[in-house]
Amino acid sequence: MAARSRLALLASLGPPRRGLRSLSLFSGTSPSSWSKVVSDAEKIVGYPTSFMSLRCLLSDELSNVAMHVRKLVGTKHPLLNTARGFVYDSKHNLQMRGLVVLLMSKAAGRSGSPSDALLPDMISGIYPSQRSLAEITELIHTAFLVHRGIVNLKEWTFSDGPLKDMQFGNKMAVLSGDFLLANACTGLAQLNNTKVVELISSAIGDLVQGVYYENSNSTEQGKLSVASWKDQVFLSHGALLAKSCQAAMELARHNTEAQTLAYEYGKHLAFAHKLNSDLQPFMKSGSGPAVFSLDSAPVVFHRLIVGHEIWTHQMHQAQNSTTQTDFSKLWTGIRSGGGVKQAVDLCTQHGNTALEAIRRFPPSEARSALENIARAVTRF
Amino acid sequence: MAVQWRRCWRGHGAVRGAIEAVCGVNRRAVTVLERGAGAGGLVTEVLLPVRHTHTSINPSMFTRSRSRFLPPVARSCCCCCRIHSDTKLKDPFSLAQEDLKNLYEDIKKLLVSKVELKALCDYYFDGKGKAFRPMIVVLMARACNIHSNRGGDLLPAQRSIAMISEMIHTASLVHDDVIDGADTRRGKTTINEMWGERKAILAGDFILSAASMALARIGNTTVVSVLSQVIEDLVRGEFMQLGSKENENERFKHYLEKTFKKTASLIANSCKAVSILVNSDPEVHEIAYQYGRNVGIAFQLVDDVLDFTSCANQLGKPSAADLRLGLATGPVLFACQQFPELHAMIMRRFCSDGDVDRAWRYVLESDGVEQTSFLAQHYCHEATRQISRLQPSPERDALIRLTELVLNRDK
Repeated sequence: MAARSRLALLASLGPPRRGLRSLSLFSGTSPSSWSKVVSDAEKIVGYPTSFMSLRCLLSDELSNVAMHVRKLVGTKHPLLNTARGFVYDSKHNLQMRGLVVLLMSKAAGRSGSPSDALLPDMISGIYPSQRSLAEITELIHTAFLVHRGIVNLKEWTFSDGPLKDMQFGNKMAVLSGDFLLANACTGLAQLNNTKVVELISSAIGDLVQGVYYENSNSTEQGKLSVASWKDQVFLSHGALLAKSCQAAMELARHNTEAQTLAYEYGKHLAFAHKLNSDLQPFMKSGSGPAVFSLDSAPVVFHRLIVGHEIWTHQMHQAQNSTTQTDFSKLWTGIRSGGGVKQAVDLCTQHGNTALEAIRRFPPSEARSALENIARAVTRF
Repeated sequence: MAVQWRRCWRGHGAVRGAIEAVCGVNRRAVTVLERGAGAGGLVTEVLLPVRHTHTSINPSMFTRSRSRFLPPVARSCCCCCRIHSDTKLKDPFSLAQEDLKNLYEDIKKLLVSKVELKALCDYYFDGKGKAFRPMIVVLMARACNIHSNRGGDLLPAQRSIAMISEMIHTASLVHDDVIDGADTRRGKTTINEMWGERKAILAGDFILSAASMALARIGNTTVVSVLSQVIEDLVRGEFMQLGSKENENERFKHYLEKTFKKTASLIANSCKAVSILVNSDPEVHEIAYQYGRNVGIAFQLVDDVLDFTSCANQLGKPSAADLRLGLATGPVLFACQQFPELHAMIMRRFCSDGDVDRAWRYVLESDGVEQTSFLAQHYCHEATRQISRLQPSPERDALIRLTELVLNRDK
């Protein structure tokens, strides 16, 4: 099948529906300034497209899946939306992690260590291995989105549509996620650096632990604390970016200090970004959004501030009228409390820590772009 | 009669061609297969012009008893081992036992995580598995060490490979069970049945990441590449299982390639990895790889046969499980040469009412089971031929003995 028709096949899945779980994790900040920050940054690293993910997308295996996924159109399997995201997600979001890794590589430049001379030539200031790493980071992130969208068939109800569709969707999700992960594995092996293989493999483990953590947090409400919230956010959001940034330094033979700084930047940027997107529903004036996550930072902090009793009371009130939770009532309660402010402060704090880390690198275009990104995620 | 014979023969030719194409088997091995194929199709024996060369195998020998089923070459090879000393041919399981002690405990130590995830990860590492892959890996490691004049001691990195092979295998089982919607595995309720599909898949990913970390810690980039290939093969094999080929020749080629990727690649590349760790000679790596590849394919072919011949609970899964999943394995593909009615059923993946029962009966009426067994035997013979190129050692001989066990296992 020609590449063009494969893309057409993927495109036939239709545009993503608004309001559904979005693939993008960097979609929170105000669109105009954010787009500018990103498109400026993309120019700095040469070409923004991830060839490895494109290769995967156009492979026989995934186009096979795309063919099958079309059968899922009209069903409620989450894979459908994830797949739509491959093609339709506003282009600046899907490959943000890769972009940060590339900028970090360029900002750090050559290490000047003796083994530096053995490395192949840079392409617009970035080693080929660092470009591969950026792509691997994207593959892992995408694979994980696909796998965490797998549906538990025992929780299936009639409103989800035919059970057969869900089974089929699961099968496709398992296979395509595995395919992306396998490509990430072989890509990692080709980097010829076992330290990087270990670091990135551990990030895959972190992502899994993050999901398990999430589940236990929302069920065992007693154990909730800022510390456990931080642990969970690190595993689910910070670890992959932090470790990829560190690995990019290792690939250019940079010393431990540079590796630590890169790690810190990646970690704190991810935290600031997570807080930023969690805060979005609470930044609008007027009435609240139809729905927001009860695990998002402002809600978690609000619960900790008001205490278990008041929170249970507020939840009870919100659930009083109908069987469904009245989110606008809850929203008003949370907005008037201190949780939102705490989350904003924490976001700024993480953004500043990320800025401090990146400013230890020599000034350059790439460094400025990373500074702009860190500033953009703390802007509301 | 004659028409049917021609159909059979064309089929066998196709199979032979496929094996040559996929596996690059040498001529000698193919001749053995050809003889076997001839003996397998009972009619062929009469019609083949060269039947006088077939005196070593005749149709009356062709019973279900697999011990009488060994080709003369393989048998004579085992005989020479016995000449040295019968006691030397130790049981592979007891020979590997010492190295495999605490294997599952050590694997569990690699799976560092919180309560619930830990429970899922440890679930299949309960020490009740056969540890078939780690056993081959440690025997191969010791055989290679002796061959390389390094003494028989197992290197820590080689033992890590044994653990990693079992971890990759387990992670792929966990994912396979979700794909197949299986509810039991090794006599236990599956992880997906206990904890749901989502957590099962993520636990599989977690086991894989732990295996990948352990692999990286060995610190050898070649070894990392060799085992990463396995992960890619496993996924590609699973994708191959989704589709069926219209063309008979292609279908058999597809089946053998899928079998290699889904089962044999792990064994072949793990064997190769332990040889790389002790010896720099590419020829030794190739011997280790070829042994693992051939034993691996034979292992899966026997598995596919047992799906038709073993009773429901012996294999830990219901018989004809593959048919129920829509999969046409060796016995069905061979049977299709005798009963073309199977073709349509294969193409629709046995999904119409009564397909599974009908296909099952056709297979048992045909010599599909015998043909598949014979093919397995051919691969075991090739494995033996390969491993015999290493210096003699108790471990090498145990690997030879293992090929017989693979053929004769009933569960």
